Amino acid sequence: MPLCPLGAGDLGLAGDDGYNCRSCLAWLATAWAIFQGLLVEALPFLLIGVAIASLARWLAPGGRWMQKLPRHPVLGPLTGAALGFALPACECGNVPVARRLLAGGAPLGTALGFLFAAPVLNPIVLASTWVAFPNQAWLLAARPGGALLLSLLLASVLRLLPETALLDPALLEERRLNQPLAEVGLLERRTGLVGPATPKALPDKTPRPPLQEVLQHGSREFLDLAVLLVLGCAIAATVQTLLPRSWLLAVGGAPTLSVLSLMLLAVVVSVCSSVDAFLALGFAAQITPGALFAFLVLGPVVDLKLLGLLRVLLRPKAIALTSAAAAVAVLVLGQWINLLLL
Amino acid sequence: MTALCLALWGIVLLGSSLSGRLDLLLRGVFHPLVGFSGVVLLVLAGAQLKDAWGQGRRPGAPRGWWLGAAVALLVLAIPPNPSFSDLATNRPAELGQEEALNFVLPPAQRSLTDWVRLLRSQPDPSLYEGDPVRISGFVWPQKGDQPQLARLLVRCCLADATPVGLPVRWPPGQVPKADRWLAVRGTMAVEEHDGQKRSVVVAERIAAIPRPRRPLEP
Repeated sequence: MPLCPLGAGDLGLAGDDGYNCRSCLAWLATAWAIFQGLLVEALPFLLIGVAIASLARWLAPGGRWMQKLPRHPVLGPLTGAALGFALPACECGNVPVARRLLAGGAPLGTALGFLFAAPVLNPIVLASTWVAFPNQAWLLAARPGGALLLSLLLASVLRLLPETALLDPALLEERRLNQPLAEVGLLERRTGLVGPATPKALPDKTPRPPLQEVLQHGSREFLDLAVLLVLGCAIAATVQTLLPRSWLLAVGGAPTLSVLSLMLLAVVVSVCSSVDAFLALGFAAQITPGALFAFLVLGPVVDLKLLGLLRVLLRPKAIALTSAAAAVAVLVLGQWINLLLL
Repeated sequence: MTALCLALWGIVLLGSSLSGRLDLLLRGVFHPLVGFSGVVLLVLAGAQLKDAWGQGRRPGAPRGWWLGAAVALLVLAIPPNPSFSDLATNRPAELGQEEALNFVLPPAQRSLTDWVRLLRSQPDPSLYEGDPVRISGFVWPQKGDQPQLARLLVRCCLADATPVGLPVRWPPGQVPKADRWLAVRGTMAVEEHDGQKRSVVVAERIAAIPRPRRPLEP
């Protein structure tokens, strides 16, 4: 490319309006671009999640296998976490699958264990963490271990709430239909058992729904979730543009503050769990080991982009409880790691 | 309405893939997945349309879907045009360590990112004094210093973009504006900055260039 000597008029020289002024238009344009980046990156993963949930609905109609999953308070979440290996997707893709598990009558602990642990305990995320941090053996063990511990804790805490206070009403209604009568009261089920019509007994084996119906259901689910994803991405893009990331990393060396700031960064950045290790690599040298752990464990469970999607599963108070419990647990674990490694 | 909304999202994903818009938003490894998802959504929209047409159904749409459709139309209508210097200023300059360094490249063939990686791995400025430099990037203003020439590295999407920059000694009175994309030819020199020696590009010839088709680097 021919290069002009200095002085060519089209270089645009810095004047009074120089670089200290962030114009509103530039701010909006940047936020809009970040929004589009987050949305376009997350939509395919959402589609994958909906496809897997629809496939499960078609292949195993009635979801009887879900009701046979373990109900044990520890074994249940562990089984749910292990299911993550069947779904190599990030947290966005996990939501529709977790919804399918809950709607199909799966034990609460198992479904919650899947929801909170599977975004980390899946082959792609474990491989990306290993590729990004091949020399930090402690992290390769601490990340999946921390995710498992966190999912157990969150499942235990959320199980303390009655299902009516925990689950979204529409999901709860769908779940009641698939739960055995031994577990659900007649009035809770709200299916017309109390009323003029004589209810039909549930067949032993639910027939496979037509593919057309499954596609219709999956399409509607995708569109419902896409709207919530749009809201989450809009919040994440706005906060990211307003809050300079350098502020969050400025306290990198202080043990407690660094953990707190990286937790906040994980929530704000809302980056997919399958690539967050590569992002963390960029500032890993600046921060404490506990802060690095906090970033990689909290982000897949709670972030701004995910908050909208979680609304199809949980009531707002339950989301708040999840966020608070996850934050406290990750802070404690991060501090403990700092004590061990610093 | 189901078919229309699915088609809109499909067009957003496939259109972004075909128009090159993804080059500005995502790392290349995700591009095929986005394009394929767009095709799947369009096929699904076709199936839904055929189904609704055959049964003569026109089911109502939840209000949220209208919001989604409006956002999809906005995304189609308003392409992303971020301020690179704004993005860079908001994030700390860092560099991942997993990328291999291109030691074999002669100095004049090193890109801006190659130079930054080299300077991080071998930070003795005197090693590079007098080396020819031919780089391109956007102008990244610095507080209390001359603007640098910079690039954005991306791991996943624009949300995680991280800047890398090289100090440039611009000719007196010729400091360019933020966000301009420039090609710079010059030589590497050593200067004192905040009591420490550092490498700086002495710009000899500068040209304004359009933003590259793929402005983000892995």
